Amino acid sequence: MAAEARTGPLDFEVWVSEKADALLRFAYVLTGDASLAEDAVQDALTTACARWGRVSRADDPEAYVKRMVVNAHISWWRKFRRREAPAADPVRTARAVSDGTSARAESEAIWALCATLPDKQRAAVVLRFYEELSYAEIAQLLHCAEATARSHVHRALAALKTTLSTENTESTENTRSTEGAEDA
Amino acid sequence: MPEHDPEQELGPKFTSALHNQAGVQNDLQTTGLAQEARRRVHRRRQTWAVAACAVLVAGAIGGVWSFAGGESPVATSNSDSSGDSKAAATNKPEGVAPSVQAQVGCPVDHPVLTAPGPDAVPAGTGLDLNTMVTGLRACRYGFAEGETGLLGQESFNAATAQQVVNEIKVLPERNAKLPVFKCAPQVSKPSEAIVLRFDTAAGIREIWVWYDGCESAGFFTGTHTYGLFSAPLKLFMTGSVRPSGGTYLDALKDW
Repeated sequence: MAAEARTGPLDFEVWVSEKADALLRFAYVLTGDASLAEDAVQDALTTACARWGRVSRADDPEAYVKRMVVNAHISWWRKFRRREAPAADPVRTARAVSDGTSARAESEAIWALCATLPDKQRAAVVLRFYEELSYAEIAQLLHCAEATARSHVHRALAALKTTLSTENTESTENTRSTEGAEDA
Repeated sequence: MPEHDPEQELGPKFTSALHNQAGVQNDLQTTGLAQEARRRVHRRRQTWAVAACAVLVAGAIGGVWSFAGGESPVATSNSDSSGDSKAAATNKPEGVAPSVQAQVGCPVDHPVLTAPGPDAVPAGTGLDLNTMVTGLRACRYGFAEGETGLLGQESFNAATAQQVVNEIKVLPERNAKLPVFKCAPQVSKPSEAIVLRFDTAAGIREIWVWYDGCESAGFFTGTHTYGLFSAPLKLFMTGSVRPSGGTYLDALKDW
């Protein structure tokens, strides 16, 4: 208690003010929703605050708290509270926004795809491609085998490939029909 | 036709899209998080203090009731007529003064019943496995509708308690031989769990044991997770704390 009183108050507040933005952005890509992200980060910070003496002594407190965010997000209790039903297969629910730049449209399509991924699959994707963790680290975070973590990511990649090829087909068809209309 | 690694081909697209989305999100509330965290911790500690007082009062009333010869409403080693229970009853440490909590027994209203997850052992209550233990009470709690609460309890002497700790602390973080179960969130919640309450010089310290549901299994101290293996389970899953089964127990077989 004495240690907490000595090191806790200032360090915790300063640390949170420095890291809040990164934590919230990470939670946002993990959850896909601003309010869920804020909830997850707030819960993680509350837990971290209660154990701040230990958290602050960790090699990388930010990674420690991000781990709490991931655990909170994939926990059965949080899922139970959200009453979320698992999606059988990833499906594209939104059309990509065509604003003239294909990169932007592609980015939007990927984000829309992420929204359809089951929680653990999405978490694996975020940890792999946003946090750039190894499969072993992802497996540890998601409490699953390394092969399962790899499988989560590869399923998401397969879904992305399907989405992008559908995207390209639709785009080609649209171009042809526009050209046809102009010729007529 | 060369075969492309989908990760190399499509991974950068994910990276770019996720960083783009993280970058454009400016509605996130970044202020007041630390203050709110402190407020919640303070409130949580107050709640714990009140709950602890309530448990002590309830325990004291229960103790008086037992002393007067009343029957406990909860299944205990004494109320179970199995041989294991008799062994457990004689398993009390000799020459070791039981703590106040041990006299009280398992709390009827334990935090495990409302825990947000298997590793939500409240800060400061988890057992450091290097600590010497002088006794153990295993408390079995049910979460199923109509069966919520304390299902049974057993006491063990210092030697057994230390043996349980020794068996747990050598375990890896995960039992790789256990299958990874996938199920809908509605049925992933376990129907029961066991709380191991060890007597230590610093008071009661706990390890939570999860073996049902389909999300997590193992021994949780709040700071460490140890995989679910049968060796420690055999030591304390006796009498009224021996479950009839569980998703992961069924997979373990020799518990």
